Amino acid sequence: MRSKVLIVDDMELNREMLTAILENDYPILEADGGRKAITVIQKQQEDIAVVLLDLIMPEVDGFAVLEVMKNQGWMKHIPVLVITAEDKVDVESKCFEMGVSDFIRKPFDNAIVRNRVKNIVDLYSYRNQLEEKVEKQTETLKKQYKLLVMQAEKLKESNTKIIDILGTVVECRNLESGEHIKRVKNFTRILAEQIMSDYPEYGLTQDKIEVIVSASALHDVGKIAIPDSILLKPARLTKDEYEYMKSHTTRGCEVLNNVQGVWDETYSKISYEICRHHHERYDGKGYPDGLAGEEIPISAQMVGLADAYDALVSERVYKSAYSEDEAFHMIVSGECGVFSPKLLECFRKTKKKFEAENRALKKLQSEKEKAE
Amino acid sequence: MTLRECYAQLEGDYEGTLGRLCSEKLVEKFALKFLADDSYELLEESLEAGNYSEAFRAAHTLKGVSLNLGFTKLNRVSDELTEALRDCSGLEDMQLLENVKKEYQRTIELLQELQNG
Repeated sequence: MRSKVLIVDDMELNREMLTAILENDYPILEADGGRKAITVIQKQQEDIAVVLLDLIMPEVDGFAVLEVMKNQGWMKHIPVLVITAEDKVDVESKCFEMGVSDFIRKPFDNAIVRNRVKNIVDLYSYRNQLEEKVEKQTETLKKQYKLLVMQAEKLKESNTKIIDILGTVVECRNLESGEHIKRVKNFTRILAEQIMSDYPEYGLTQDKIEVIVSASALHDVGKIAIPDSILLKPARLTKDEYEYMKSHTTRGCEVLNNVQGVWDETYSKISYEICRHHHERYDGKGYPDGLAGEEIPISAQMVGLADAYDALVSERVYKSAYSEDEAFHMIVSGECGVFSPKLLECFRKTKKKFEAENRALKKLQSEKEKAE
Repeated sequence: MTLRECYAQLEGDYEGTLGRLCSEKLVEKFALKFLADDSYELLEESLEAGNYSEAFRAAHTLKGVSLNLGFTKLNRVSDELTEALRDCSGLEDMQLLENVKKEYQRTIELLQELQNG
């Protein structure tokens, strides 16, 4: 609590006269010059309630003290009351310009000095208390905000976890898909980042890309509802089997509908889009809904291309792997269905990145196999 | 000599000073403390040394304290001297210093009389 009064005057008699007025109400500090005053304020700035300042002093005068107090920010909490025999009007206005709270001319009246000091001390004490309160509340708000951010982060983590769990289920069900899921994720990221920089109209952001990449792991979640006889058949599927196989898109959506309410809307929406529409094609000849053009969500378009590319460069029970060049041309020429011109443009631009990714992942895979 | 008589001889403002300082005891206490103040000596010394900014401050101090103690006459002459010294470039009219000297000595003498009862 600030309670002390600092009296700054080079003349002892003046200090004594002011001390006599105030010593019954406040502890008194004295400074016989500007330099001493600055030292005292610096040391006791938390205790000083008001400074009574003389202007005309040798060496460091009252104005210099005001200058220092202003620059140090002390005046925000410590009011200054100038007491002087100066009768020039411009001196008074200069003092107020420099942030002085009150100006008392000599000869002063003891009662008036006492009252003005009391008023200014009370006012500043109230103000300082208010400020302290606001500071405390701001601190609390900041803490709460931090907590919210942490919780949001946690929520995000748990959203990702749900996707990972579902993705793992798919992997376990279909031995072939383990590496496939990883590759589709990485190819999807390559495409998404290119689209974000080239085509802002899709409104992709780094955050959204993270959700899409994460959710791309679920594109084949519906396959857990496909019987082994079809899913793991070591040969080409018959027409009927193929038709049944196509239903993994809609069956996946049923699975996702069951986990709705558990996770964030953005995550569930994007997972749903990818799951249902990653076999749609730009000319409307895909399945299950025959969506065309930009009716197909961009997330599903990207995962669709990534999925098709990976199927081509991978070995399957019914086919050997195509070379990277062959796969590239097959995608671009529409042999795996038609993709959007913008998406293909991005694919062309990122051809090298796709190939690097493909090699890196294949290398990892073969090392793993060797180890086993 | 009483305090009131002392002020009367000084041609000072006794009533006003009593009103401002609230008690006779305080007026007397601080009036007598003026005896120990060396502002006048500082004024003379710094003028002799040609230190006019110091002389201005000393005159200003004298002006302020005499004003507050109700030494009206001393205040008037020291105010004139203060203004003459304000630009700190020198003192042309030595009479101004003479006036302060005369009034200061008279004040001191009367205060000493008061002190001695």
